[in-house]
Amino acid sequence: MYKKILAAVNEFSNSEISARYALTLARSCRAKLFLAFIAEENIHKDKLKHAEAALERLFMDAEGSGIDVQTIVESGEPVSEIAEIVKAQGIDLVFTATRREDIRKRFFVRTLSRQIMVRLPCSVAIVRVVRMGGIHPGNILVPLSGRIPDIEERAYFIAKLAEGFDSGVTLFHLHKPLTGFFHGEMHLTPLQREAHIPKDVEEFRRQLHHYNIIHEKKIGRGGVARAITVEAAHKKNDLIVMGASERSLLKSIMRGNPVEDVLRHTPCNLIIFRGTKNRQL
Amino acid sequence: MNIQTLSKDEALKSLLTSVNGLSATEAVKRLHEYGLNEIKEIRKVPLYKKFLAQFTHFLAVLLWAAVALCFLSEYFHPGEGLLSLGIAITVVIFINAVFTFIQEYRAEKAVEELKKLLPFNVKVIREGVVKEVRSEKVVPGDIILLSEGDKVPADSRLIESNRLMVNNAPLTGESDARLRGPEAFNGNYFDSPNIVFAGTLVVSGLGRAVAYATGMSTEFGKIAHLTGGVQERLSPLQKEIVRVTKIVAVIAITTGIFFFALGFFIGRSFWHNFLFAVGIIIANVPEGLLPTVTLSLAMGSQRMAKKKALIKTLTSVETLGSVTVICTDKTGTLTQNKMEVEKVWTLEGQGARGKGRGGRDDVGSGFKPVPATHMLMQTAYFCNNATCDNGAYKGDPTDAAILKAAREALGDIKAERIAEIPFDSDRKRMTVVYKGSGVQGFKGSSEQMLSALDPLTPRPLEPFQYVSFTKGALETVLPLCSGILVSDKVGAIHESPLQQITEDNKNSIMQAYHSMMDAGLRVIAFAYKPVGAIHELPLQLSDFTDIESDLVFAGLMGLEDPPRPEVPDAMKKCHDAGIKVIMITGDASRTAIAIARQIGLINNEPVVIEGHEMDIMPDSALREKLLSSEIIFARMTPVHKMRVVSVLEDEGERVAVTGDGVNDAPALKKANIGVAMGMTGTDVAREAADIILLDDNFASIVNAIEEGRGIFENIRKFISYIFASNIPEIVPYIAYVVFSIPLPLTIMQILAVDLGTDMFPALALGAEKPAKEVMKQPPRSPDEKLLNSRILGRAYFFLGPIEAAAGLFGFFYVLKSGGWQWGATLPQDHLLYMQATTACLAGIIVSQIGNVFACRSFHESVFSLGFFSNRLILYGIIIELILSAFIIYHPLGNMIFGTGSLELKVWLVLVPFGTGLLLAEEVRKFYVRRMIRNRFI
Repeated sequence: MYKKILAAVNEFSNSEISARYALTLARSCRAKLFLAFIAEENIHKDKLKHAEAALERLFMDAEGSGIDVQTIVESGEPVSEIAEIVKAQGIDLVFTATRREDIRKRFFVRTLSRQIMVRLPCSVAIVRVVRMGGIHPGNILVPLSGRIPDIEERAYFIAKLAEGFDSGVTLFHLHKPLTGFFHGEMHLTPLQREAHIPKDVEEFRRQLHHYNIIHEKKIGRGGVARAITVEAAHKKNDLIVMGASERSLLKSIMRGNPVEDVLRHTPCNLIIFRGTKNRQL
Repeated sequence: MNIQTLSKDEALKSLLTSVNGLSATEAVKRLHEYGLNEIKEIRKVPLYKKFLAQFTHFLAVLLWAAVALCFLSEYFHPGEGLLSLGIAITVVIFINAVFTFIQEYRAEKAVEELKKLLPFNVKVIREGVVKEVRSEKVVPGDIILLSEGDKVPADSRLIESNRLMVNNAPLTGESDARLRGPEAFNGNYFDSPNIVFAGTLVVSGLGRAVAYATGMSTEFGKIAHLTGGVQERLSPLQKEIVRVTKIVAVIAITTGIFFFALGFFIGRSFWHNFLFAVGIIIANVPEGLLPTVTLSLAMGSQRMAKKKALIKTLTSVETLGSVTVICTDKTGTLTQNKMEVEKVWTLEGQGARGKGRGGRDDVGSGFKPVPATHMLMQTAYFCNNATCDNGAYKGDPTDAAILKAAREALGDIKAERIAEIPFDSDRKRMTVVYKGSGVQGFKGSSEQMLSALDPLTPRPLEPFQYVSFTKGALETVLPLCSGILVSDKVGAIHESPLQQITEDNKNSIMQAYHSMMDAGLRVIAFAYKPVGAIHELPLQLSDFTDIESDLVFAGLMGLEDPPRPEVPDAMKKCHDAGIKVIMITGDASRTAIAIARQIGLINNEPVVIEGHEMDIMPDSALREKLLSSEIIFARMTPVHKMRVVSVLEDEGERVAVTGDGVNDAPALKKANIGVAMGMTGTDVAREAADIILLDDNFASIVNAIEEGRGIFENIRKFISYIFASNIPEIVPYIAYVVFSIPLPLTIMQILAVDLGTDMFPALALGAEKPAKEVMKQPPRSPDEKLLNSRILGRAYFFLGPIEAAAGLFGFFYVLKSGGWQWGATLPQDHLLYMQATTACLAGIIVSQIGNVFACRSFHESVFSLGFFSNRLILYGIIIELILSAFIIYHPLGNMIFGTGSLELKVWLVLVPFGTGLLLAEEVRKFYVRRMIRNRFI
């Protein structure tokens, strides 16, 4: 599915960690890896040096892993330049690391993450690195909502990532609680909750089976973001991969945005994935 | 690759750093990228928001709407009294909000306590220079210097170490220090000796480590995630109160709307109807319920504190009564945590003592000084870090018990210890080296003696100078032994026949080991070895590898931690009460099973799950196992505990869990009831728990459960009591509209009952002792409601109408006595009217006095319970009468409540209603008891 993967690299160490996920996926998919550094106007030479050193390390490692790799260094506005490269090279998937402002700004308004999600005409994986030493995930936590707009592609992404790291996968679906006026929230046992598993989640599992990925299924309850971070902390997951938010800005203001909340409080590294069929953050 | 599997250089490279550390600019950049190295509480709801929430729940919104309507009608129709009504309702909202807030509020300090476990300052290498920085400024890639007494600031990979011992207790719960080193490790990340975790303590040695995770992404931060992240849920009681509130709201609104419509059809004005509807709503709302529940729980928590269970959250009082499963630790909770050496075992004489059991004896009567036991005791004496000061033993409980046994057998011995490799949880053993001259039986140095001491070496050894002693878990000591001591001659070690250890010997040892474990004993193995010249001091690790080989097996000791004497009875109570008890212990399964049998936790073959089995067990399989009636979790860590709690709660169980360690905090928070140990628990565990056991005793949990069960019943009793007075508050309004009579009871008088006279008798009902059969019944089902149709029916259709009759009788009695004629109107400030409404109020008060006795039991006669068996009831009634006297006879009370003084004759005509209600209840109870009897015959 992925023939060309691009990893955006800059002077920050988290972009290098993010690119290492791309490197593993490229090896697993046998895809060509593009390592791109877009130097902004008047960049300080130290930053340039750091970024180039990172590019060199990544290039060497990729080549050492037998990956067809190419580095691209351009200057200009990063998102526009990356969009140009995506178009020109026919990139399928772009990896990029979050920046500090992505975490600070509410609802991703005017953040690089949002711009990348909205403007790039390909799939995007945004990586939040909180642990430098835990790149190799023993188990990947995959939260799934009831509706998965890009099932096939996301299943492929997870499968290839798990294959590349030889990791286990835990699918985590949060069941919407049943409530009654007098009873309040009704308690359902896991078996009872099984009966309410959405079709998309079952289809996702089928896809993972198709890729021979051993996975565990877990049905949680409670607030979405809190349940995901608690599950990851409890099960000591090293990586969470979740779909990009489908909530509009207005809905996010009214009801909150779980993706934003997980991004802010994740106890392990996090990848927010947006397939080509789902173009809204 | 993961950090522990990498070589030192690879680890540094992967973190984009070097042995000289980061540059200052890079450190700043990383601080920007990864944030401060701090533990913080995520998603913390500010206190003011929690308080404001008390004004926005269902009932509060309903009352706010009433307030708004009151003020609106006051604006359009001033002088109708709606302003004071609006103010009164606002006061009610505030009272309820404050009481509910007090009930639900609990200062969250668990994460604060976690923060204290991180260091304040730390030494790092940056740009090749050692710098002291604040711990929060440590970033991934920093090189951290560690030395004795330091707390580790971040999850780090060791790159250098010199006998670095780290205590991982905050993470693993194990109090023993572990030896750490920088070598690459291919095993499990959490077992890796090259990793040091944030929040742990350097016990000894030196080290350098590179930080790879900081702040909330450390393993320590994950405990904070779990502790602070567990979703706060409503307790079963809170859920029930919400439900009761909704029922009341529906009844109030429906009645209000119905009578508003009725008034409209009768032809009354809008404002009259509106005033009436609001009055009906107010009369229906039991304003005093929440304060009464809160105070009742507070009183319950005081009673529990007397039983050694300190309640931190008031609602836990009742939640405890509803638990279906208790997950309990063993050591210190079920047992006394007072180790004693119960048995010793050596190979000496195999059969010489007869019965082929070897040298066992009872410690209580002292060990006979047979040589093999003598050597075992010496090993126990020397390989020990406990101390004895004037007969008081200090140190690790196991070491103290062993030293005590050895001292009883040998007295005090003086010898010089020259080296020690401390106990390590990974190695599960400790070794010490002493100068041979001090050790009994090692005074000589003849070649003959040496040959005798080392049966495996055919040639004579060089003259020995030192003796090493090793003790630890059998599985780690036995493989190191090549010889075994078999002498039975007193005091002459050098003459003891030693022999090479055989398979038969090993089988005998294993048999003895299993037999001791089956008796519930913790088994420690002992071995020793004469060592030749040691050329260099201090000893290096490699020297110990030599010293800990070819050991001579000396014997076994079986230590008992006796069960607490109260526990078997408490366990029986749990069985009778249908509460499942699950033991979760770090001990071996055989020991756990033996103790479980001794205390009556198990009677059959239990399901036993060990930690390593649970690690690979999916939740579905664990769920299946947990269905077993008898189940024990052995070799567990606190992480396993949280999983057990989660699965049980998923299945709908109400779980109480005990814990004492830092990493027990998530399980304590997760469970319906977290029970921390007051004596041995950490501050973090105590802060995370709902209840603190002041004596760490399992029996205290069971006593508290009994109290909690009683409280649910008591809340039902006073709900029944409070709801009964709603009817005499509603009926006068109906009569006022339907029969066009003066309003028999004003809003302020309703509030005087709900928030005044009813409160103290209701509280006294909340203090009723639990019924005898309360621990003979299964835990209440989640479907069992606080307010059901039977309770509501009894209050509204049986007790309530009698009280309404009392009130209206009093009202009309005073009116008629004052010459009032049917159809005549009376102004609100007319004395006769005020006295009449006061008589209505007095009727309710008198009948509520009868009712409080009636509500002490739903089916037991008050004559069998005894009128004076709950003295608080009498006190409650006295306070009720004093309050009534104030309201009725004091000018201030008259002014506030619009009342007028009553003559004695009015009281006298009302008394029969109180006694009549009680007698009517007795008749009803008689038939109920008969029905129950018939059902069981």
